[in-house]
Amino acid sequence: MKTSKGDVVMKRLIAATAMVATGLSFSAAKADEVFVGHLMDITGATGFIGKFYADGVRDALSYINTHGGIDGTVLDSESVDYAYKVPQAIANYKKWRSRNNMVAMQGWGTGDTEALISFVAQDEVPVYSASYSGHLTDPTAKNPKTAKPAPYNFFYGASYSDACRAMVQWAAEDWKQSGGSGKPIFSHIGDNHPYPNAPKEACAEYATELGFEVTAPVVVSMKPGDFKAQCLTMKEAGTNYGYLGNLGPSVVSLVKSCDTVGATPKWLANIWAGDYETLKTIGDVENYVFPAMTSFWTDEGVPGMDLVREISKMSDSSGSEFRTHHYIRGICSAYYMKEAMEWAKANGGITGANIKAGMYARQMWVPKGLEGVCMEATWTAEDHRGINTVNIYNGSAKGGDVTVKKITTVTLPRRDDWLGY
Amino acid sequence: MAGFSMRPCGDFRTTYRQDTRIFDTTYVRNAAILGIVAVALIPFVLDGYYVNLFIQISYFAIAALGLNILVGFTGQISLGHAAFFGFGAFASAWINNMTGIPVLLSIPLAGLMTAAVGMLFGLPAARIKGLYLAIATLAAQFILEDFFARADWFTGGSYGAAANPINVFGYEILDDFSFFYVALFFLVVMYLLGTNLMRTRDGRAFVAVRDHYLSAEIMGINLTKYRLMSFAISSFYAGVGGAMYGHYLGFVSAEGFTILLSIQFLGMIIIGGLGSVKGTLMGTVFMVLLPEVMESGVSALSIFEWANSTAVTDGLAYIKEMAIGLAIILFLIFEPDGLAHRWKQIRAYWKLYPFSY
Repeated sequence: MKTSKGDVVMKRLIAATAMVATGLSFSAAKADEVFVGHLMDITGATGFIGKFYADGVRDALSYINTHGGIDGTVLDSESVDYAYKVPQAIANYKKWRSRNNMVAMQGWGTGDTEALISFVAQDEVPVYSASYSGHLTDPTAKNPKTAKPAPYNFFYGASYSDACRAMVQWAAEDWKQSGGSGKPIFSHIGDNHPYPNAPKEACAEYATELGFEVTAPVVVSMKPGDFKAQCLTMKEAGTNYGYLGNLGPSVVSLVKSCDTVGATPKWLANIWAGDYETLKTIGDVENYVFPAMTSFWTDEGVPGMDLVREISKMSDSSGSEFRTHHYIRGICSAYYMKEAMEWAKANGGITGANIKAGMYARQMWVPKGLEGVCMEATWTAEDHRGINTVNIYNGSAKGGDVTVKKITTVTLPRRDDWLGY
Repeated sequence: MAGFSMRPCGDFRTTYRQDTRIFDTTYVRNAAILGIVAVALIPFVLDGYYVNLFIQISYFAIAALGLNILVGFTGQISLGHAAFFGFGAFASAWINNMTGIPVLLSIPLAGLMTAAVGMLFGLPAARIKGLYLAIATLAAQFILEDFFARADWFTGGSYGAAANPINVFGYEILDDFSFFYVALFFLVVMYLLGTNLMRTRDGRAFVAVRDHYLSAEIMGINLTKYRLMSFAISSFYAGVGGAMYGHYLGFVSAEGFTILLSIQFLGMIIIGGLGSVKGTLMGTVFMVLLPEVMESGVSALSIFEWANSTAVTDGLAYIKEMAIGLAIILFLIFEPDGLAHRWKQIRAYWKLYPFSY
């Protein structure tokens, strides 16, 4: 009895596997088709924010496919939720590589991106991640500080370090203008994890350079909690500008805790912590400064937004759903890849190496149709800092009503000692 | 019971030596050797996806065997196994990068370093046991995780550490095809060592400590010594597994070694069978393949038109995650003794077929 039950399960498994295998062999048989894998996290540790970004990438990929593909080549893609589990990310990558002949991949966080750096470099598969760590930007290890060059890693946006530097640069101006006396005090606030830590040293160095006094970093867990103790530390240190390295619920509870104890520095949030949803959840806050790399859903008169709204209809046919700027950033990420693939097709065929070359083919470029949405970006063979311009916004909320104002645009120099760091 | 019925008629033991043979019968031994040969053919027959899954199974299985020696054989508990796994990964990369010792040597060296760290964190085991020990080892998890993020000199801090590929006599192992054989080699060696350990005086002492520590002490077994030794061996295995993981990926990041992985290791040995070397391997295979099987089930649905809308795909993603949990719970309810026990029953069934009574 028991074995026969096992038999049935086994048969089902074999049947399911066979179904997958046949499905795949069909797709491999079609002549003019390329495959792009898409790793997303919608159920895992970073699902809170991963969902918005993943929807953007996924909608963009299916929009591209239903509107002519890559100059006529069908863009086949698969979106897999890996729930932020690295082994599953690796297994999926290997599966796509060996069965679907994947030419490029849309990735997600620090975990999967860093685990795959060596594999993608070896297999020549460009990866477009949503992990903006500065150390992914030095493809040839020009800066001796770079531990591991990542020649096939790209991302759309300013690195965490550069975004933080830009905000610090703004903060230095702001301090003068608001008539502050003495040295302004800057604190890095975040969990002791690769993602919040990514800009820690880089940003603190630049802050010191600009005349800030930098306190010891304040460690705040990535999980929400009562952070009054940490807030009191900041209050005692007299922090004027606090960089928020975490995201989502953790940031919400931190800002609320600090409000309770009366520690209200100007917050400088990293890009994942700065959005409409977060501000709305905090409810009451002033001076919540954050960077953005795209226009906003509610912006009017931006030519590229028409295309964004069309793409959004891929998963929301009513067109009424509100989209965060993370969603729009996902679209940009997919579209830079698309145009690099088009360049590759015209210059020797869509292969990983040609797509990479396609990324370098133009300077200060914006994907067609997304003018005003994505910012002008330049990647070169030695510098993967696609964007060195940061738009800075000031958000505030009162009783859940959110207002976001653009305050400035900072263009950072492409300093050599900042490469990959 | 099944164990006795496995033996052919007239094959009885006359010495203790015969009683502790690794393979019960010649048939089992031949089957095991054939099994290894068959596995060695995988890269020629199956595609890169399966090869990768096998590599994942091998480094996790080595680490899980370490945990089984500690939990299943010695009756201690550890909630920090992932941290030791991570320590091994960083240690091997560090040894190789700093001293230039070849990777193949730095992997066991990293194992030894991890063993030392494991002994340090195993010290509380000399005094406390059960839930209290669980909490004490939890400290290892958090302390080491924090250490990974801070110790720039050792781990590269939040930037992570680069790990060189394995180099065998000047030939760099870069692709999965060749790494597969390195993984298979380590897997076989470490499992043979593990099986042998249980046949030694020390191995028997572990089991005695597990079964009744007071009786063991009365029999002259030094409890502190053997508990610590168990922690050391367990961490050695974790370190070797972690080092392989690091050199396979080529890059070690402080992010991957969370308590979730520790619990997954526990899941592997509980599902496979506490106190069974074979079961450890089965449990690891189960835990690595389960999400993949679920995943292929979900993608098999995509041939239907209704399953292609975003809402359904997202829904399926949640169902998949829940199904993995559900499968584990059901497994524990219906097979609390683990896969090793089930395997014995299946064998007994066929051995005695068709007259099982």
